[in-house]
Amino acid sequence: MHPEKFEQLDPVIHSRIRLAVLSILISVKEASFNYLKETIGATDGNLSASLSKLEEARYISIKKAFKGKKPLTTCSITEKGRNAFSAYLKALETYIGFKK
Amino acid sequence: MNDLQAKDEIRLIQEMIERTKKITAGSWMFFLVWGIVVILGIGGMYALVSIEEFSWIWLNWVVFMGIGVVFSIVYGKKFEKLEGARTYANIATGHVCFACGMAFILVGFIFPLLKLYSWGLIPVLISMVAGILVFTLGGIFEWNLLKWCGVIWWLGAVGMIFAHENYRALLVIPLLLIGYIMPALVLRSMYQKQRDENAS
Repeated sequence: MHPEKFEQLDPVIHSRIRLAVLSILISVKEASFNYLKETIGATDGNLSASLSKLEEARYISIKKAFKGKKPLTTCSITEKGRNAFSAYLKALETYIGFKK
Repeated sequence: MNDLQAKDEIRLIQEMIERTKKITAGSWMFFLVWGIVVILGIGGMYALVSIEEFSWIWLNWVVFMGIGVVFSIVYGKKFEKLEGARTYANIATGHVCFACGMAFILVGFIFPLLKLYSWGLIPVLISMVAGILVFTLGGIFEWNLLKWCGVIWWLGAVGMIFAHENYRALLVIPLLLIGYIMPALVLRSMYQKQRDENAS
């Protein structure tokens, strides 16, 4: 084990749902709450909590609007989130490469 | 965290990115409708040629292209709402379709209307633009079948030059079936399979 390698892993991203959210948002311009929920297979509560955490870290921006009478929550990744995701991915790859 | 968990996280990232790519399979309806609209347009054009009413060919294309454009706008909005996400592939697709749609309108009726060339050249130029559209979509979707369909369109365009002007429009129909309707049906079955997978 090389614990010094894991210090680089961002704790905000280091959760299954938050990592999945960023992985999706990195490949789309924007995605609705329902789309994220269905694609990840998360519950409303878990996803809401994860999105709040990512928004607090300013990794994503959340827009709340209404389409007709239905509320529509749309998320998109920010530049800061993009950089953080890229650094996280690099850290993971470095670790796996190091172990090989 | 251990090595297995790190690999698991990489797998999760790959899986999520793959799932966002699946959205594009839902665009089969655009292919199908545009294929049908163009076949009908060609049918109309052939009918006008048969009765030697060449001056109405441009109007024939205005009507059918208009139907295609209205459908694309209405269904495009509905499609985006249904899918819940705007992927970069879908945005690029929209731009390519719009650009080629404009090219279809220019080569299909504005240029012939201005008498820049005879109506007999329309199917050749339409096939050339269709090849650009299908080949580029193949690149965006990372789907080789579509790229080959693009090549078939271009070969068809070259082949048409050797056919008599009166029959060129008819030659577009087999090209449409192979290079447009066939991939639309493949996309449709992919989309239905994805929906079944998501439902289970």
